[in-house]
Amino acid sequence: MSVAESMPDGSSAERQDPSGVVVAQNVSKSFGFTKALDNVTIIGKAGAVHAITGENGAGKSTFMKILAGVYRPDAGRIFIKGREVQFSSVHDALVSGVSSVFQEMMLLPNLTVAENMFLGREPMSRGTLSRRIMMRESRDALARVGLEVRPEWLVGHLTVSEKQLVEIAKGISTDASIFFFDEPTASLNNTEVERLERLIDGLRAQGKVIFYVSHRLEEVFKFCDTVTVLKDGKHVATLPRASLDEDQLVTLMVGRPVQDLFPRRKKCRSSLALDVRSLVPQQGAAEVRLQLHRGEILGLCGLEGQGQREILRSLIGVIKPHESDITRISKEGDASPLVPEAGVVSCLRKGVGFVPEDRKVEGLYPDLSIYENVALGPMNRLALFRLAPRVAELVKKIMKRMHLQASSMGQPVASLSGGNQQKVMLGRWFAAGVDTLIVEQPTRGVDIGAKAEIYRQLRNFTASGGAVLMISNEITEIIGLCDRIIVVRQGLTVFETAGSAATEEILMEYALKDTPPAKGKKKKGAGTSS
Amino acid sequence: MRQFLSRSESRSGLSPSILAIPILLILILIPAAGGFASWENLSNLSSQIAALVIVSLGQMLVAVVGGLDLSVGSVISLVTCVLATEGWPLTLTLPLAFALGASVGLINGWGVAVMDINPIVMTLSSMTFVQGVTLVWRNVPGGHIPKQLPFAAVGQTLGIPHSLLWLVLCVLVLTVVLRHTRFGLRLFAVGGNSASARLNGIPVRRITISAYVVCSMIAVVAGVYMAARIGSGDPKIGASFGLDSVTAIAMGGTQFSGGIGGVASATIGALSLGLISNGMNLLGVSTFLQSAAKGVVLVIAVCAQRRKSVGV
Repeated sequence: MSVAESMPDGSSAERQDPSGVVVAQNVSKSFGFTKALDNVTIIGKAGAVHAITGENGAGKSTFMKILAGVYRPDAGRIFIKGREVQFSSVHDALVSGVSSVFQEMMLLPNLTVAENMFLGREPMSRGTLSRRIMMRESRDALARVGLEVRPEWLVGHLTVSEKQLVEIAKGISTDASIFFFDEPTASLNNTEVERLERLIDGLRAQGKVIFYVSHRLEEVFKFCDTVTVLKDGKHVATLPRASLDEDQLVTLMVGRPVQDLFPRRKKCRSSLALDVRSLVPQQGAAEVRLQLHRGEILGLCGLEGQGQREILRSLIGVIKPHESDITRISKEGDASPLVPEAGVVSCLRKGVGFVPEDRKVEGLYPDLSIYENVALGPMNRLALFRLAPRVAELVKKIMKRMHLQASSMGQPVASLSGGNQQKVMLGRWFAAGVDTLIVEQPTRGVDIGAKAEIYRQLRNFTASGGAVLMISNEITEIIGLCDRIIVVRQGLTVFETAGSAATEEILMEYALKDTPPAKGKKKKGAGTSS
Repeated sequence: MRQFLSRSESRSGLSPSILAIPILLILILIPAAGGFASWENLSNLSSQIAALVIVSLGQMLVAVVGGLDLSVGSVISLVTCVLATEGWPLTLTLPLAFALGASVGLINGWGVAVMDINPIVMTLSSMTFVQGVTLVWRNVPGGHIPKQLPFAAVGQTLGIPHSLLWLVLCVLVLTVVLRHTRFGLRLFAVGGNSASARLNGIPVRRITISAYVVCSMIAVVAGVYMAARIGSGDPKIGASFGLDSVTAIAMGGTQFSGGIGGVASATIGALSLGLISNGMNLLGVSTFLQSAAKGVVLVIAVCAQRRKSVGV
């Protein structure tokens, strides 16, 4: 039964369901062209743990941030204990009894553990900050999560998992009635996860409302009473946990027809373009081996933060890899080493283009014109003080080829839509004549029409002898576009398949689970592409 | 090792190399400059550096939230001129001086926190503006300070120079503000990472604006001290304080990226800078050469620090 269906008239939900302490009703939120949440209704009940789950970008974190006062919803209403609330800041939400443990670290490195735990609700006595109360209560809270650090230590010196535990201790020590946990276990070990489970049980016994935002299936099944699945910002289903098994849940998370967005795959794979014999992105990370051929689009996929981004960035030298042994083979067949340790500039000069995920900050110069942004590509290899040649004809040709919608090539890039900005980004590399592209999130913040155009451009690029290595959080995009797909989990390449044989279920199963599915599918080593 | 690293003192910006500077200077000056250790010179030193220490404390607050305030010098000049206005009693001029200081701070803070103007540009503008207003008020040094004030600055009680009392009082007040108030803690939070601070429910803009206001008010205190010391108004007296206070806190280890600094480090930085001037005066070094030497010392001091914010 879907909750949304039980209230077709949108009448005040709390009257129909007296146990709903938190009611988020028909909530919507957009960021530019992307609808992050679309008419979602979720009811949180006292003494219950409510899982909110879904793929990357399903809207889980957006939902939580709206209830935590970080974002204001575009539409919809929120009721807490029957009263409508409108949060204009995180502080408002805290006052209304909402405690949140965010996915991204919200601790301050230059403050002590105790100061961090009480920041925003500092205890006062006789007009001054009471460090005694802060120390005493944080010591208690740290003991509850079983963390052996002293409250007077600076958070900046803690390890990632210690920080996460401090964050949890901070969350549960708040005198709140509604608790949000956003992927709280990302860096915890098994013992710590078990302890978290007991803490959450304790909150449940006290009659609190607990929202548990996660895409980790084991935890959803272990901790939670009710499961809500979101997909592409839309509410898919809200079901009691008891009525679900893992496979059903995966189907709910995935279930969506692949739109007819993607160009047909062409069989044009030819010689090697990049031979990564060894790449260790960071000290202690797993060694990655892969080969990228001309004429193919190779996609790395996985859940967010599993290391696929680090693989790409260390390959091109944006972050310095710990170790690397990479050969680049030009169209003419000349092999030369690619040395990411020497930095991104030297890699780009070898004719490899990089399209970063945050094009406005890392890729484009938003205040400059289309001409200047594209012309940077061909000028990349010129000596620093050479006079810049006019390349207007080339830029015009690129604009036409990319179907770029702009009034003129003098238009500043900031005034373009996300899709057209991405075309400028790609156009820069096409103008530079690169034959290998490393692409992060090719269609982030891009509307559906421009998506199809970008896919077509990437496909044409490979058809004419280029090679593309990409990562994407959109699993449909990976399946629809890529010729070959590698699943990355915890920095390891755990599974490789041909794009035409991939399904969301298989990829998600490898991305989510510790153990590979026992359905007789052959697991191939990622490095050994046939 | 970890316990040592993790003590909260390491966000104060202090480090052994910073503490070594004034000690080294004193060890050099005692034998090199005759009369350095004399009671007379020390009390002279205290009256010379009191204003710089006070201004640097305010500058440090702004630096902790990741800002910079170049207008403090102009505020000092303005305050001396306001206090020296003929025929105006202290009961009028003192509140007026503080009100003017607060407005300058409010405008600086508004520009930086609300209009998102770079702190250097914002406070450079207000510095120029306030300097202009000061020159309109009084274009040459002169005027008269009611005589209660000079005693408060240059007198002695039980052999202790009053300048030292001004200095100690300001240090104590600022220590309490940073260590024992919500405002103090939140300054460090905003400077550490303003986005995280916001997620913790901290009103980031309000804290930033408050930092600039408090900094300007402290500059007013320094201005009152200066007026009392020279006994008249001087529209240019504060001109060097803007950059000197920045130099002082940099020497003390305060990080301009925000989140790291403290009363002790600002005081020690200002003391080091004061010792350099005082020592070179005693040694008879020309003022031009002094300025050059200060620049060299600053670069050396900053290079000797680890310029890494805690834990990042």
